[in-house]
Amino acid sequence: MIEVKNIKKKFKKQINKKETIEFFADNDISFEANEGEVIGILGPNGAGKTTLLRIIVGILEPTSGKVLFDNKNFKNNEIEIKKELAFLSGNTKIYNTFTTYELLKMCGNIYDLDKDTIEKRIDEISKKLNLTDFLHSRIANLSTGQTQRVNIARCLIHNPKYYILDEATTGLDIISSQIILDFIKEEKKKKKTILYSTHYMEEAENICDRVILINKGVVIESGTPKEILSKTKTSNLRDAFFKLIGGVKDE
Amino acid sequence: MNNTFKILKKELIEVFRDKKSLSMMLIIPFLIPAIVIGMSALFNAETNKSIDTYNNIGFNYELSEEEKELAKEMNIKVNTIDSKKIKDEYDKGNIDLYITKDGNNYIINGNENETTSYASSLMNSYYTRYKEILQKKYLEKSNLNADNVINIITINENIKVKENFYSSYIINYAFLFIIMAITVSATYPATDATAGEKERGTLETLLTFPVRSKDIIIGKFLSISLSSIITGVLSLILADVSLGIAESKFKIYENTNLLLTPSQLLFAGLVIIMYSLLISGLCIAIASKSKNFKEAQSALTPITFISFFPGMIAFMMNIKISYVLAIIPFLNSSLIFREISDGNIEIMYILLMIISSIIFIALVLKLIISQYKSEKVLFNE
Repeated sequence: MIEVKNIKKKFKKQINKKETIEFFADNDISFEANEGEVIGILGPNGAGKTTLLRIIVGILEPTSGKVLFDNKNFKNNEIEIKKELAFLSGNTKIYNTFTTYELLKMCGNIYDLDKDTIEKRIDEISKKLNLTDFLHSRIANLSTGQTQRVNIARCLIHNPKYYILDEATTGLDIISSQIILDFIKEEKKKKKTILYSTHYMEEAENICDRVILINKGVVIESGTPKEILSKTKTSNLRDAFFKLIGGVKDE
Repeated sequence: MNNTFKILKKELIEVFRDKKSLSMMLIIPFLIPAIVIGMSALFNAETNKSIDTYNNIGFNYELSEEEKELAKEMNIKVNTIDSKKIKDEYDKGNIDLYITKDGNNYIINGNENETTSYASSLMNSYYTRYKEILQKKYLEKSNLNADNVINIITINENIKVKENFYSSYIINYAFLFIIMAITVSATYPATDATAGEKERGTLETLLTFPVRSKDIIIGKFLSISLSSIITGVLSLILADVSLGIAESKFKIYENTNLLLTPSQLLFAGLVIIMYSLLISGLCIAIASKSKNFKEAQSALTPITFISFFPGMIAFMMNIKISYVLAIIPFLNSSLIFREISDGNIEIMYILLMIISSIIFIALVLKLIISQYKSEKVLFNE
């Protein structure tokens, strides 16, 4: 279970040579994600989704608040928690000079898997994600779709408990996006906890058990897609979002 | 496997598969033999310049029989030219120098340049000897023993040449070029491993791995150090081989020993390893603060020159190693290498250098590790 408690993140922004302003990228965000749940974190660009997910995976520190993984926090259990995590974002790149096999092996080593387990996992994953044809090719020579499959394979190698996916389908073609969505559905079946941030509302509606709508660093609504649609009396999450923020003009 | 070594392995794969890093690491050392042999050839050519290149002298008067004989003996080509035309002949480059005579006053004329300088020196010797001939003739005419007057005292030089200037020069320059090669070799992988990783977007992946910042930084530091050590050791071997070739080929190194002995090579290798560690730490500290590859490269360019300066100044000002200087990073490596090449290996200086380098590296690494948790450094936010 992931517990996000009152997360606040303040940044300073330089507006000119003399002046800097402070702003909250995330302001008092709280939610929980249970085992086997896919939680959608939805909002437009600049809403604070990436900052929130970076805090959750421990690469940014919150200004205040805390994140607990099965009651453990990063401060005392950083390595232990990271071993149970997989983070994939639209910006996440992988090492081009490695072959797919070398990358997976390196990741397996970093996650402390033994040699036999690594080989077994690589074999399973490459069959599942159809990596066999380019398992020994350099990542630099792969297509975008193939690279994204390798990226998913990297996340799967250590069989994590939690997946944190940040705009993972942004900029991908329809086939590559579908690979990610199928991967989410597959892992959900295995009772994995998945946090999935996106600005594609329709996508979230289809795969998320619950969604958290964020705008300007603040949670504006949360619940199952059905609950939100019923509360806002709208037929889709896109309309619900605009209704909640008072229309597109406010943006 | 320790997390640091897992990161080191990953970094080494990246360094050894990157063509630019590899070329910096392996090609630059091959410039050292070209520099050593090229510089030696230049020194040699300069020193052994043939008298034929500066002995074409113009005279505005007819030489006496004694003068003609002396000129022949000293291999001076005599050109008797009219006073009005002699300067033009010199300006046209037909003669290397010209002499004008006014009574007993002889003037050596020319514009300052290398040929004139050699020719002037030749003519000064010529007139010193001609003056002796005239003095001898005059004294003999007065029935005096000319030898007793002219050679009333004799002067002999007994100055022992401590070191061959050229050999000392070429060895020191070879070391300075090794230092430069190591620095250049450290800057590219340092940029690539820090700012490059940030720019390529792989840093985020790396930070989500179950490894601490300490392991990431030390792993990166060790891989950069290893690549600069490879450059340094290869450069040292190539420099020693080329010094050996230069010693056998060029007269200027006669009776000197340019080749380093095995113990000198061993200690020089130690100096190179410590310098490689030091420069790798500094490069990674600077590059990790840069937003992107280009910014890191701009920030690291001055390091190549700065690293070269202390050794250059120490060599030019003939600064000798002391206990205080042995603890000053960058300067100590050049000074200690100089001592090693002179055959004076004092363990205390080497120990002080190692201790000071370790302290400096530890401080730099501590600083980078603390920075590597900073959002400003990692995400420029």
